[in-house]
This record gives sequence, structure tokens and C-alpha cells, in this order.
Amino acid sequence: MSIDLGLKAAIGTAASSFNEREMQICVVARMVEDAKTYWVAGGGGPMYAVLLAIKLYAPAAQYITEDGVIAPEPMLPFEPVMTMVSSRAGYRALAWGTMNTAGNHAQLGLMDYGLLNTLQVDQHGNINSTAIGTYGERSRRFGGPGGADSIAALCWRTILMTDQEKRKFVERVDFISSPGFLDGSEGARERAGLPPDTGPFKVVTPWAMYDYTPGRKLRLVARSPWVTVDQILAQCEFPPVIADNVALLEGPTEEELHILRTELDPRGQNTAERSAWVVYDGESYTRTEA
Amino acid sequence: MQVLAEGKADFLAVDPDGYRAWVRDHKQRALTPKLMSASEAVSRFVADGDYFVFDCNYFQRGPSTLIREVIRQQKKDLWLCGKFSYVDVGLLVGAGCASKIDCGFFWPGATIDRAVLDGRVKVYEYSNIVMTLRLQAGAMGLPFLPVRSFGGTDGFEHSGAKLVQDPFTSKPITLVPALNPDVSIIHAQQADQYGNTRVFGTGIAHEESAMASKKVIISAEEIIETDDIRRDPGRTSIPYYAVDAVVHAPNGAWPGNCGGYYGSDTPGVIETFGAIASDNVAAYVAKYVTPFASDAEMFEKLVGQERLDKLHAAETISEGYRA
Repeated sequence: MSIDLGLKAAIGTAASSFNEREMQICVVARMVEDAKTYWVAGGGGPMYAVLLAIKLYAPAAQYITEDGVIAPEPMLPFEPVMTMVSSRAGYRALAWGTMNTAGNHAQLGLMDYGLLNTLQVDQHGNINSTAIGTYGERSRRFGGPGGADSIAALCWRTILMTDQEKRKFVERVDFISSPGFLDGSEGARERAGLPPDTGPFKVVTPWAMYDYTPGRKLRLVARSPWVTVDQILAQCEFPPVIADNVALLEGPTEEELHILRTELDPRGQNTAERSAWVVYDGESYTRTEA
Repeated sequence: MQVLAEGKADFLAVDPDGYRAWVRDHKQRALTPKLMSASEAVSRFVADGDYFVFDCNYFQRGPSTLIREVIRQQKKDLWLCGKFSYVDVGLLVGAGCASKIDCGFFWPGATIDRAVLDGRVKVYEYSNIVMTLRLQAGAMGLPFLPVRSFGGTDGFEHSGAKLVQDPFTSKPITLVPALNPDVSIIHAQQADQYGNTRVFGTGIAHEESAMASKKVIISAEEIIETDDIRRDPGRTSIPYYAVDAVVHAPNGAWPGNCGGYYGSDTPGVIETFGAIASDNVAAYVAKYVTPFASDAEMFEKLVGQERLDKLHAAETISEGYRA
């Protein structure tokens, strides 16, 4: 039985050279549903993905950010380091509010999707952005959930972006900063006071896409054409469920990359970082570590 | 009401009646001029051991001049409200000003890692919006607010939140304790001498922070006439009676941006990140804070007018930021 990935067909000509971060952003952009609301993390991959989607795939999609910007037409590119509470990011919005505006609107059920980067995710979609290691003992401290806890609790569906690395895909996150399906049991979120019918939806890495089984377990459903399922599994500390047919994701197109490289991220801050490069000669892909 | 689960961490004592009494006794009803220097404002209104909230942050229309003044005066043992914060938490920890952090988000790094490992700083876990809702409860004069997030997380275990059975729906609901900070510092685009304050653009919780806090210091890019406030009252974000001190602080959000006025100073931002990442806040303070009696002197002697002018010129957007 094939799984509906909810992906639009890529628009444009297959690109000949790109990096894996660009691939990840393009895949998420093709997932964006038209005429839906997205609560987007205030910078990086999630923001580029939703902006690319609005320009190419879903012109009526809208987004808000944690500082209460509602449906902006941002002046691009953003400032080199800052996005939220900056005049460029909030430019030509339909409304400006505050953090409680964003939180309350999501609590009311107005946010269809949450779109987040994360440090670590587990088999039930729980998110860690607080500490790696044993909390309070020997752990490395990270910044905390920020707005992600509210996004993951209150949006109808949550999409995560993360890297395909062993320590990022674990059986149980070291610290649940933001909720997935918690212990995975039926009704766990509701018992914790979270609104019903919400929760993890997809995880996208530069190599793979995951959804969740009816039993609320992470499931590998698609892969980038230049990696095998075994390569992906080698980069998961805890093995996900594997779909019967792991679909092939389309690589980026020249049209997607043109928007990404010239309009959204002309400095290459997020897209030209230390991720691997992939070359496509029309038949096969060759991946080179940066 | 049945308590189903509760966090095990300390939190600032909840006392809405005490806060009402404070408001009765200390918030000035008369229109009293409150203009003063940053030095005087911080000296009078920030005390060692205070629960301390800053709105926005060091890079994003935050009260950066006031934060530098807190560091200059070597305030101690502050309990920081780390909602939507960035490097400010690291700077205040690195400068020895803070001993507790309520964490929504802060920029991590060697400074905080070492302080936590050494036991000099204790971190309590929340999220950004749980913190702004705690302030909302404090600003409403309530003891707590119910929230539909935060339940089920490990942060909950290390917080002051409780999961209870809602007496109206019988479903589980998380309650978070109200927050009435001792002091809040807020940077705004405009204020008058009495404290009527206009924040333009988006924000985090400037109104909630101001109304919830015992002592409130506003710094503003411009001091405007009260007549201008009266001509467009819908623009007033914070009314005068919440405010204790008004500081005229041009470039008061530097090296951050201030919407409609100036863009962020990228080298200044990166240098601040670097200080936190490398646990070298002392060198940062020795460069930007201690040699100078005020930020005005620092801008004049270290940053220079030419660099500031460029940041102002870079901020081409004015829509929505000026009355």
C-alpha cells in the first residue's frame, strides 16, 4: 500500500548541482498546503521553506511568527543575523501583535501547521532543544524550547526539520522540551492537557521523509535518490518503522534554487553551509561531503 | 480542584493581593515627570536579588543600554525572565549579575554551561509563551492562568506548573503561576516624560511586563510631547501610571535593531555572540561597559557617529513605526 506523502510535483527542470540543505528546504516547500496557516520558526530552513512555497507552490498559504507577525510580505533578504521583531521580517503584514497573540491564536485552533527546526527527535515525535545528556547532571545545555513547545502543542499538525544524524534520531529524547506523542500511548497528549487531534505530522531531513504510523511511531516513507534506506538507518540511533514502499523524493529544480539563491538567501547563509554537495548528470546523483 | 501532577521547581511566590497593595502604595497616579539618566534609573529601581524582566532582547528592540547599565552597576543575584532572550542571559550571567533563570529560550554557550555546572546559576524550565502567559496572569491581577500547552513535557517537571482537572470541562488542564516581577526594563521608540510609551512593530510582552512589574523603567529613542500622545491615544502601548522611570536612550537597542529607526549592527551582534560562546564576557564588559560612565560616552568614543549613521540609513522601512 503506498502512502500519500502530500507532496506537490516539483516545478521546473531538475537541477544539476545543489547542496543537501537546499534539498531539504525544497521538499518541505512542496509539502506546504495552499490556503493554510503556518506558524513558522523565526528563521533558517523553516522560514525559507514556507517563503519558497508561497512563491512557487502555495501562493495563498499564510504564516505567522512567534512575535505576532501575521501574514507579512517580508522585504527580502532578511538582515544577516536577525529575523523576528525586525522591520524587514514584519514588512507589509496584515497585523502585528505580540507573543501572546501568536500563542492565543494557536490555542484557538487558527494554526494549521507548525514548522520547526529541532536538535533531537524520538520515535514518538518528542522534541529536545534543552539538554543533551542526563539533565541536571552531565549534560550540555541548549537554549530551551523557545516557541516550539507552543507550536508543537497547539498547531493542528507539526512538521520538523532536522539533520539525518545518529544522535538526532533516538528512542527517547534526553529531555522533552516540546511534546510529540509523549509516551506514544493513545490519548497521552490529551491526558497532559493538550488539545485533541494535534501533534507530530512529518519529519524531513536532507536524506529522508518520515511520517507516523497509526500507532504513533516514526516511520520512514521517502528517501533522497542519492542515499539508500540502509544509509539512512545507519544514521538513526533508534531504527524507525520502515514503510513497505519507501518512495523516492525528487531533487531540487533550477527554478526552486533560483528563488532560494537569489531572493531568499543570496548570502548563502543557510543554504551554502557545511552540508554535502550533490551533482546530477541527468541520470544519476553523485554526493560529495563538504 | 484535583491536582493531577505538579512541577517540582521553585518559582517566584504568587501573591496577587500583595501586588495590589504594592500598586496602591507605589504607582504614581499624578502625571509626574520621570525623566532621568540610565544610571539614576537603574540605581534607584534595580535592586540586588530582584526578579528581572527585559522585553524583547539585546538584539531586537531590546533595552540594551539599560542592560549595560545593570552590568556597569554590578547588580547581583538577579532572577532572569528568559523569554525570547538571546545573549542577554549570557551577558548577565557572565557579568556575575544573575543567579536564577526562568528559561523560555536563551542563547546557549560556554558562559552558561560553566555557570550551571559550577552551581552559580539555577535554571527553571518553561517556554517562551508560558512565560509571557505567566506575565499576562500577573498583569491581570490573577494568581494563575490555564494554558493548553506545556503539559507532558519534561520542562513541566522542572517548573512551577500544575496539571489539574478543570472543574468546568472535567478535562486535564495545565495551570501556570502568575508572575509579578520586581522590575521590568523596556526599550520603546517613543515615550513622554511621564512614561506614556509607544512601542511600534511587533513585540514580545512589553504591555504584560509593564503592567505586571512592581518597578518599570522605559528607555526610548525619542522623548515626545504629551500633546502628541493625546493626539493619537490608540498608539499608547503603556500608560504613564505603570512607569517609574523614563530614560532618553538614543540607539538604546544597539547592537540590535530598532524598527523604523536603525538596523542591527552585524559586527556588533557577532562580537556579542562570540563573547557568550567563548565564555569571554569579561572582555566584552571591559571593552563596552566599564571604561565609560554611560552608553552616550561609549557611543561617542568607541562606536562613533559614522557607524551609527550607517545603521540609521540602513533602516529604510518606516511604515508602521512612526506616528
